[in-house]
Amino acid sequence: MTLLEVQALDAFYGDFQALFGVTLHVEAGETVALIGANGAGKTTFLKCLVGLIGSRRGEIRFGGEPIGGQPAERISRLGLSLVPEGRLLFPSLTVEENLLMGALNRRPGSWNLARVYELFPVLHERRRQWPDALSGGQQHMVAIGRALMSNPKLLLCDEISLGLAPLVIDQIYASLGRIRDEGASIVLVEQDVKRAAGAADRVYCLLKGRVTLHGSARGLGLEQLSRAYFGT
Amino acid sequence: MIWVETIINGVLYGGLYGLLGVGLALIVGVMRVVNLSHGEFIVLSAFIGVSLIGVVPWLHPLALLLPVAAIAFVLGFGLQAVLINRVVTRPDPFAAILLTFGVAVVVRNLMVEVYGADPRHLQAGQLAQASAGIGGLHIGVLPLLILALSVALFTALQLLLTRTRFGRIVRATADHRDVVRLMGVNPGRVYNLVMGLSLALASVAGMLLAIRASFTPYSGVERLLIAFEVVVLGGLGTFWGAMLGGITLGVAELVGLRLDPNAGPLYAHLLFLVGVLLRPSGLFRVRA
Ligand SMILES: Nc1ncnc2c1ncn2[C@@H]1O[C@H](COP(=O)(O)OP(=O)(O)O)[C@@H](O)[C@H]1O
Ligand SMILES: [Mg+2]
Repeated sequence: MTLLEVQALDAFYGDFQALFGVTLHVEAGETVALIGANGAGKTTFLKCLVGLIGSRRGEIRFGGEPIGGQPAERISRLGLSLVPEGRLLFPSLTVEENLLMGALNRRPGSWNLARVYELFPVLHERRRQWPDALSGGQQHMVAIGRALMSNPKLLLCDEISLGLAPLVIDQIYASLGRIRDEGASIVLVEQDVKRAAGAADRVYCLLKGRVTLHGSARGLGLEQLSRAYFGT
Repeated sequence: MIWVETIINGVLYGGLYGLLGVGLALIVGVMRVVNLSHGEFIVLSAFIGVSLIGVVPWLHPLALLLPVAAIAFVLGFGLQAVLINRVVTRPDPFAAILLTFGVAVVVRNLMVEVYGADPRHLQAGQLAQASAGIGGLHIGVLPLLILALSVALFTALQLLLTRTRFGRIVRATADHRDVVRLMGVNPGRVYNLVMGLSLALASVAGMLLAIRASFTPYSGVERLLIAFEVVVLGGLGTFWGAMLGGITLGVAELVGLRLDPNAGPLYAHLLFLVGVLLRPSGLFRVRA
C-alpha cells in the first residue's frame, strides 16, 4: 500500500523556487532516504509535507487523502510527524513536558511516555530537566520521542545525525530500527550518503530542488550516488 | 512610625502595580508584542465597572470584579482574534505594535464619546477608609485586600502556566510558534486566550485603581507607563519579577509623596530610570 505519494511538487519562498517537480512515494513499512547537499531543498520538502510552507504546487496524498492544501494543524492529526532540523525543542518546557506536547494529537498506537522512556532510558533520568541541560544526542532523542508520542504512520527525520559523535549516531540509528518494528514508515533526510543508504530500503537524491536519482538502496552504487549528490 | 506606615502602604499598593504589569508581561512573553492599548483597556474596565454600578447601584464595586474581568476576557479574545492575529506573524514586530497603538487611540476616543472627559471614581464606601491598627500602625484594609488579591492572582497565574496542560501549550507556543502547529495546536487560538487572560488581569487592576483614585478616558497613558515600568524593572516576561517591580514602584511613589506632596508618581519614574541604568535586564531577572 502506498502511504505517501508526492507528484510534481514545486515550492517557493517568495519569488525563489526551492523545489522543481519533485515526485516521490513511500510504501507502508518502508524506510526511504532523501539525500542531498546543503541547500538542496530537503528541509523544504519535509516542510511541504507537514504543511509549513504555504506556497506549494503539485499533489501530496497521504493514506490516499490529498493533504496539499491543508494547514499544518490538520495534517498533524493524520499521522505525519516531523523531527525538525535542529531539533527545535521547547526550551521553557522540561524534557517530559516536551514529550507530552507530542501526545496532544495522539492517535491510537503503541507509543506512550513509558515506551519512549524504554527506548531512551536516559530521558527518564532527565525527565525533569530543561532541554538545554542535555547533550546534543539526548536532545535528538527528545525530538524523536516527541514525534513518536503521536503514534505517527510516517516519521520524517531531518538530519538527526547532524553534529553528533559516531557512537551517538549509531545509538540513534539503532532506535530507528525499533521504531520501524512498531510499524511506522520513515523518511530519513541526511547529508551523510553512506549512513542513510545503509539504513534505508530506497534512496532519493535531491540536487538544487530536483530529484536527480532514485532507486533501491542496495542497487545504487556509492559512486553513482555521489555523482547525483554533487551533480558532476 | 509614619515612615514605616508609608513603606507598608507602598508595598500593599505595589501589588496593584504588579497586577497592572503582569498582563503586559504575559503578552510580551508569549507573542513578543508590546500591547500599547493595555492602559486603555485598564481604564475601559473601570468605565465598564461604572456602567454596571449604574445598573446595580446596591452592589459593592468589589463584587463586580468577576463580571468585569469576564467582559475584559471576551474583549481581549476578540481584539486578538479580529485584529492582532492578522499582523502578529509578520517578521516585522512594528506592525503589531503600531496596530495596538491605533487600537489605543480608537478606544480612548470612544470612551470620551461615551463617558465624557470628566473624572470618575468608583465608591468603595466604608471599606475605602477602614484601617486596621496593628502594633500602633494604621494599615488600610483596602490596600491589604488589594495585596492579598494580587498575590492570589499571581499564584493562580503561575500555577496555570507551570502546572496545567494549557500552560504547557502556552509556553511551547511562546518558544516555537511553528512547531506547535505540528502537534495540532493553532497558535492564533492560544494567543486569543492569552490576550483574554491578560486583559482580565488588567481589568482587576483597573477596577481596584479606580477605587483608589479618580480616572478619565485619558488615564490610559499613565497606566500603560506604570505597567511598562513594572515589566521592565521586573525583567521582561518574568511574573514574580513583575510583582516585585510593582512593589518597588509603589514604595517609591508613596515615599516620594511623603517627601513632596506635589510629586505624583515622579519618584517612581525616577526609580525606574535609575533601575534601568543600573540593571538594564531588570532588577529581578531570574530564569524564566
Ligand atoms: N525561509 C527561507 N526563505 C528563503 N529561502 C529559503 C528559506 N529556507 C530555505 N531557503 C532556500 O531554499 C533552498 C533549499 O533550502 P533547504 O530546504 O533548507 O535545503 P536543505 O535542507 O537541503 O539544506 C536553499 O537555497 C535555501 O537558501
Ligand atoms: Mg535542511
